[in-house]
Amino acid sequence: MSIVLKADNAGKKFSRTLRQMMFYGAHDMIAGACGCLPQNEVLRPGEFWAVNGVNFELKRGESLGIIGPNGSGKTTLLRMLNGIFMPDAGRIEVYGKVGGLIHAGAGFHPMLTGRENIYINGSILGMTRKEIDRKFDTIVGFADIGDFLDSPVRQYSSGMYVRLGFAVAVHSDPDILLIDEVLAVGDRDFSLKCYQKMQEIREQGATTVLVSHNEYVIRERSQRALYLRAGRPVFMGPSDAAISLYIKDDLQLKARHVRDQKTADTPLKMNKKAEISGFRFFDTEGRDIASVITGGVLRAEISYSAVKPVFKPVFSVNFYTDNGLVYGANNAYENVILPDLQTGKGKLLLTLPQFHLPTDTYYVSVMIAEENPGDLVDCQHFAYTLVVERAANARGSLKLPTAWALEG
Amino acid sequence: MKHDIYEPNKYLKLGIRAWPFMVEELWNTRELVWRLFVRNFSVRYKQSLLGYAWAVVLPLIAIGTFVLLKKAGIVDIGPTAAPYAVFALVGLSVYQLFSSGLSSGCGALVEAGDMIAKVNFPREVLVLAAAASAVFEFMVKGVLIALACGVFHFMPSPVGALLFCAAVIPLIFFTLGLMFFFSLANAVFRDVAQVVSIGSTFLLLLTPVLYPASDKWNLLFALNPLTALVDGPRDLFITGTMRDPTGYCVSAILGALIFLMGWRLFHMVETKIPERL
Repeated sequence: MSIVLKADNAGKKFSRTLRQMMFYGAHDMIAGACGCLPQNEVLRPGEFWAVNGVNFELKRGESLGIIGPNGSGKTTLLRMLNGIFMPDAGRIEVYGKVGGLIHAGAGFHPMLTGRENIYINGSILGMTRKEIDRKFDTIVGFADIGDFLDSPVRQYSSGMYVRLGFAVAVHSDPDILLIDEVLAVGDRDFSLKCYQKMQEIREQGATTVLVSHNEYVIRERSQRALYLRAGRPVFMGPSDAAISLYIKDDLQLKARHVRDQKTADTPLKMNKKAEISGFRFFDTEGRDIASVITGGVLRAEISYSAVKPVFKPVFSVNFYTDNGLVYGANNAYENVILPDLQTGKGKLLLTLPQFHLPTDTYYVSVMIAEENPGDLVDCQHFAYTLVVERAANARGSLKLPTAWALEG
Repeated sequence: MKHDIYEPNKYLKLGIRAWPFMVEELWNTRELVWRLFVRNFSVRYKQSLLGYAWAVVLPLIAIGTFVLLKKAGIVDIGPTAAPYAVFALVGLSVYQLFSSGLSSGCGALVEAGDMIAKVNFPREVLVLAAAASAVFEFMVKGVLIALACGVFHFMPSPVGALLFCAAVIPLIFFTLGLMFFFSLANAVFRDVAQVVSIGSTFLLLLTPVLYPASDKWNLLFALNPLTALVDGPRDLFITGTMRDPTGYCVSAILGALIFLMGWRLFHMVETKIPERL
């Protein structure tokens, strides 16, 4: 099968301020008009790459999802694929007609009726008058705007507006369909209809590129996904893998943020008879780990060095999410009495044979206290993170041991 | 199958080979230009009571003022070949083809900013549609001219009146060339629209539109291409001959050059427009 859409190291830069944009714009245009080629690939002061180094190839009928946090360049990339923004670096090749659902209804004039706007929008999207005449009824039927056909579109609800825009765009027979979150606007009924139509277009051999924050949409609608962060491609591959990487990164960033915040606003009184000198999670072979599968064995090691003896020590390892403490392992609560800590260095090993916390990223606090309540020896608040991963063959975010019996 | 390549400076690299593409693109977009023209027309018509009658209000007021000033002896315009109202009306209609084209051209890209940022289509249609509106306004004023001729019992030269329509074509091209240029400039610096609007008001006074060209200001008029492009067609309409055919031809060639330059410039830098709006 042939390649229909190809991005080759494509990049686009923007300026941070409007003023700079004005002057750089004037400079580029004058330089261009004088016939000297502007140096596009060099960043001038105040410029940044909104999209940088994107590579992919899409064949006929394939579909690509684009994911990433806000401001990661997803929409810019989509506009580049549509030919609205010319790349400043690399190149983009497109075979066939591109239909952009980048913003359904762009170019609609609020004063004109739905009927007039269908013709204008159709022409803008490259349809001939005859083509629009032929498809007019289908478009109106699809948009389901009823008696509003001859009312000015400014009287339309936002849903109707988008529906009409989408209807015109999908009926322009694109070979490549670019979709940017528009489906979130319509009601359930309409988004279902849109998905069906997209499916239909895809079955006819069209290639789709889909930007969405909805991981289920991406998972379901596209085999492959491109994960962008700060304009750079982080990962390109099977949708499932791209999405889990994205979610993991997202949670880790959030954890770091929460830790920085919490350590700043909770100063704790510690007697510092001993100090926590290290903490890690490790696997059966003793290697450090950052993640564990839910329901599996979790091993932790706390290293300490005591300057004075600590009597009846209490160790605790607490697991938090954004919503607060989920679980704290604590030897005093388990009625385990540990021997007093002597001056010098030592290690404590903690094993949780069935670690059943649900799939998430946890912030971990480690503490040493003395039996005498309230006497904290040392504490590292939110200093570590642990990612708990989904187990194989599990539904939901847990995997629990079960027993089944058929009676009767 | 359609094959597009997007890369930096694509149109700049083409050089002279860009012309066939430009002509082809222009031809392919004729339907869209028509649609957008109809859209502009019906929007303007829908939003106001008088609609396109506004096109004739301004010239009527301007000419009325000058007729009064002339009658009161405040300004001395001197003898004109036709009744003054007809003379001024023809001149002003031609001049406004230029000035209203320029002012709508300035806003053409900026006003469609949302559409440009979201849909990929040849951007020159916006400028062409704006020019079509100016030409249409001019045609509306043609009706007014005919009425004025009736009221003032003036019979224009029949051949001249026909040639008059053809003789404004160089002015249209001249205007279009400037529209291409100013629409781009205004997309980057919004000040341009202000400058153009002030400039075209002054230019109206510095061009023999509401008064006949006199010998006193010969150099000023000779350097102004609008002199020949406005006065030439008017001469044809009123007398059937042109006083200064050489000046007209030079200005017409200049108009054509400005058009080609503006068009090419627009094509070279239009890809930079969406990110500047």
